Amino acid sequence: MTQLQRDRTFTSSGVSGTLKIVLHDVSGTLIRALGTIERRGYDYRDVHCTQRVDGDFDLLVHIEDVGGPRNLDTLCRQLERLYNVVSAEKVGRRKRAERA
Amino acid sequence: MNQPLSTITELESIHTDREPKSGAQLLLESIEAQGVDTVFGYPGGAIMPVYDVLPRTGLRHILCRHEQGCGMAAIGYARATGRTGTAFATSGPGATNFVTAIADAFLDSVPVVFVTGQVPTDLMGTDAFQEVDIFGITLPIVKHSYIARDPADLPGMVEEAYFIAAEGRPGPVLIDLPKDVANAVTTDRHKWRPYPKIKPATVRSSHISGAESMIRAARKPLFYIGGGIGQGDGVQEFRDLVERTGIPVVSTLKGLGSLPNDHPHYLGMLGMHGLKAANYAVQECDLLIVAGARFDDRATGKLDTFAPDARVIHVDVDRAEINKLRKADLYLDGSLKKNLAALTPGRADCGDWRELCHARRTQYEWDYQSAQDAVAPGIYAPKLLYDLSRKVPESAIITCDVGQHQMWVAQHCYFDDPRDHITSGGLGTMGFGLPAALGAKIGASHRTVITVSGDGSFMMNIQELATLFRYDVPVKIVLLDNSALGMVRQWQEVFFDKNFSEVNLDDNPDFARVAQAFQIEGFSIRTRDEVEAGIDRLLAAEGPILMHVKIDPNENVWPLVPPGRSNADMMER
Ligand SMILES: Cc1ncc(C[n+]2csc(CCOP(=O)(O)OP(=O)(O)O)c2C)c(N)n1
Ligand SMILES: [Mg+2]
Repeated sequence: MTQLQRDRTFTSSGVSGTLKIVLHDVSGTLIRALGTIERRGYDYRDVHCTQRVDGDFDLLVHIEDVGGPRNLDTLCRQLERLYNVVSAEKVGRRKRAERA
Repeated sequence: MNQPLSTITELESIHTDREPKSGAQLLLESIEAQGVDTVFGYPGGAIMPVYDVLPRTGLRHILCRHEQGCGMAAIGYARATGRTGTAFATSGPGATNFVTAIADAFLDSVPVVFVTGQVPTDLMGTDAFQEVDIFGITLPIVKHSYIARDPADLPGMVEEAYFIAAEGRPGPVLIDLPKDVANAVTTDRHKWRPYPKIKPATVRSSHISGAESMIRAARKPLFYIGGGIGQGDGVQEFRDLVERTGIPVVSTLKGLGSLPNDHPHYLGMLGMHGLKAANYAVQECDLLIVAGARFDDRATGKLDTFAPDARVIHVDVDRAEINKLRKADLYLDGSLKKNLAALTPGRADCGDWRELCHARRTQYEWDYQSAQDAVAPGIYAPKLLYDLSRKVPESAIITCDVGQHQMWVAQHCYFDDPRDHITSGGLGTMGFGLPAALGAKIGASHRTVITVSGDGSFMMNIQELATLFRYDVPVKIVLLDNSALGMVRQWQEVFFDKNFSEVNLDDNPDFARVAQAFQIEGFSIRTRDEVEAGIDRLLAAEGPILMHVKIDPNENVWPLVPPGRSNADMMER
């Protein structure tokens, strides 16, 4: 193993939580939000999506990080940066647990 | 400089004209209504209805020779002018050829609207001829995207697309246009639901006064700036702030030019190939004022050793960048321009620190003569670039490709405006330089535009030589030929025990003759005594020209911070 390869060892940080995301009804709205969650280093465990009377969607999603330095506030801001996302926030308390 | 953006109320405007028009017509009219005059594109089956209407519009279409070239030319155009770029391609392979350019625009926050043709709506999802889900493929790399389903949506959609591309932190927007929608004729103009989230950027006065106290309390403050200064139109505000406070400055690759290289408070580029004076200052500062930068790993080295003793003020238009990689003690979000203008902490109390930084800058200044004397006898690229950029009569726009030559441009060329340095920073895209220079010269025709390329990168979009000839675009090409994928070769030498694998390009074609085959003036230089005349010939040329420069295959870029290491661990020759 070269020095470069040794320096790249990977550790998981054990961040998990539930997010509530409000989405506009545009092409690919759900995939944009879930894709962002995955690409930013999280797995989703539980997904509930319902349409509201105003046409927007409420998305509740439980997520766990897959490693690296992760932060749910940053993820919420990254979700809110999407043009189909009205708001994204953590619900309940964030658990920090060591993963096996 | 920036084209006037639509306001939110304009977005709500209902398009009143009720003439029957096709989707293609509505698309092009709406694009023109955004003030666009130039489009870089390449036709094909699914986008033919658009090309059918195109000659009847006022749009100037530049036919590149590859869709990747179109996309990168649109990026070069946008970066040189501050206006939003526009690029067209057909469905399937045309659209997938856009992907690298879209990713490049995404990672470097460049406003470009990409329009792709798509198979007719009823064939979508059937694996039709030249059908790919470009909307799905590009979801991770667009700021926003649309599939047009109804021609009546197009005026509002186009207006919103240009608004989103340029608003806040800019980025690419994709419009995928199925052929039947482009052909369909309508008298309707749908009201487009205005985008509700955009709030006028306000300056948080409590954060401003907090930042001012932190600056007053600091003894070793330092600005760490990035591309956001130029893209946020904050260059003048930043320069005024530096004058007001007297705080030293380090810059990322994309921040170069925000202060002129010779400004007394400027310490140079930080990071992997940064200057010693800059990297040492970051390691020792007690307050880091980050403006329009995002703690990219090429700039920070090992993150937890970066500016270890510093408190952090982070100024960025993109709230998602704050606390992403380094916790900020205080942040200023919203308009970077307004935040920088609002900061008036007075002169920083950091005289000793300033002197130390200045002394280091002098100590570690490049000494081209002795560096050149220490290397192999051929042409020494850093000195050539230094001489070139100082010989240009007025400052030039320099685009470049990716590799060692890119780092040499950053280290040795003179910049006094961030728009003058057009480099693929985030994606590091080989093949970027030539099409970006084409787009830059078309957008800023009064400027001298030079592209510095490598023998590997140049071959990736070499076909755009034909576009230079076709439109007689007088781009000046400097091709630094080390017969190698030099940057990869350097890493193999330094980090992989000299196990050189697939980096030798000593069977390159004769690049000067290749240029001539494209009817472009081309010549080669090989020795030091040919450099001065070569530069003169390059700069004097009226049309496009290529100067092929043979350089030592074994030359490396120094200093170098090994990946994953602290910026304090700079390796040298
Ligand atoms: C499209 C693409 N493929 C591969 C790479 C990886 N890469 C980075 S630098 C480099 C070598 C570039 O060679 P050249 O253009 O000759 O520049 P030099 O380093 O020799 O100056 C390669 C292969 C890249 N950045 N982009
Ligand atoms: Mg090379």
